[in-house]
Amino acid sequence: MMKPEEVLAAIAAARGGAICVPTMTTGPAWRKLAPGDLSVGCVGFMGGAAAMGLGLALGAPDRRVIVFDGDGSLLMQLGSLATIAGAAPRNFTHLLFKNGVYHTSGSQETPGGPGVDFAAMAKAAGYRNAYTITSLDEFTKRLPGFLGEDGPIMVQLITGLAESTPMTAGPSTPFHQQVADLRARITGAR
Amino acid sequence: MPESVPSSLIIDAFKEIFQAERRGNARQDPLGWIISVPDTHQKTVLAALDKERSLRVITCSTEDDANAVAAGLYMTGEPVIVMIQHAGLYASVNTIRGISMDGKVPIFYMIGLLQREKDRDPKDSRHSMVRFAEPLLDVFGIPHARMEGPDDVKLIPEYYRKSRERSGPAAVLVGLETA
Repeated sequence: MMKPEEVLAAIAAARGGAICVPTMTTGPAWRKLAPGDLSVGCVGFMGGAAAMGLGLALGAPDRRVIVFDGDGSLLMQLGSLATIAGAAPRNFTHLLFKNGVYHTSGSQETPGGPGVDFAAMAKAAGYRNAYTITSLDEFTKRLPGFLGEDGPIMVQLITGLAESTPMTAGPSTPFHQQVADLRARITGAR
Repeated sequence: MPESVPSSLIIDAFKEIFQAERRGNARQDPLGWIISVPDTHQKTVLAALDKERSLRVITCSTEDDANAVAAGLYMTGEPVIVMIQHAGLYASVNTIRGISMDGKVPIFYMIGLLQREKDRDPKDSRHSMVRFAEPLLDVFGIPHARMEGPDDVKLIPEYYRKSRERSGPAAVLVGLETA
């Protein structure tokens, strides 16, 4: 089973100038790997990471946007798959960290459990491509392709639990500050 | 008595807002973004927007999506207007709180009051969807005004500006179905 922290470390090494949108249990680990960069966490509106990533991708077509979604999170706003497919951003990579539980709230099983196939859902919604990856070695080898291929694409990652959650990690930068910082970085960079 | 507002007036107001936002900006295409969840009350505007080459419309599955897409576009410096219905306001309260209020993302909303009776103030409506929209906005401290006829189109740029000035949400409620 892949460790989320190892997956994130591989992304940090390969992302280049991509904008990243972590949510829930990917948040604390990503903060350590990439503090103060082109990232904004989905904090306080669970389920909205992919749609926020869509807005970023449409507004910054010259950059890749990578969303680090969770299975429980995506289930809260599953219609965003169709919203994203309809808008068809070519620079959009949707990584779905699938651990089968709501880790942050005490690891209750997600509806449907591990049998829910988000890659199949994304493809059926109209994503250009969708893949399922079960090993870090395979993910690392294919990551440059995932970040260069025309989107929207989804990569469903079968992972274990993260070492910390937003509830066990220390306080993070408030969302409004993350928004202001990212806007300044993106618009200042033009 | 309230009157319907022609879609052309509303779209002209959108364009003027976006032109002002784009002044001096290298990026001019699209002129601006309309993020919508289809609203029966504003359907003539949505139909007319389909023919507008300078504006890009993103149709969302839910109002939660619409708010998050608008936030993403805002972070890239793009000008955005969100068009929803009162039912969508109710459906997306947590996202509005999280993104536009706590996140201080200036989002301007056009909110259709579907089923609003022409001869009644919304607070006296027989329909709870109509009655509760303005009180809900008041609870959240969201500035709002009701567009009751062509002369009120000026509320659109006024409340768009309010959203920018306060770095948060502001809304114009569409009193009658647009023409």
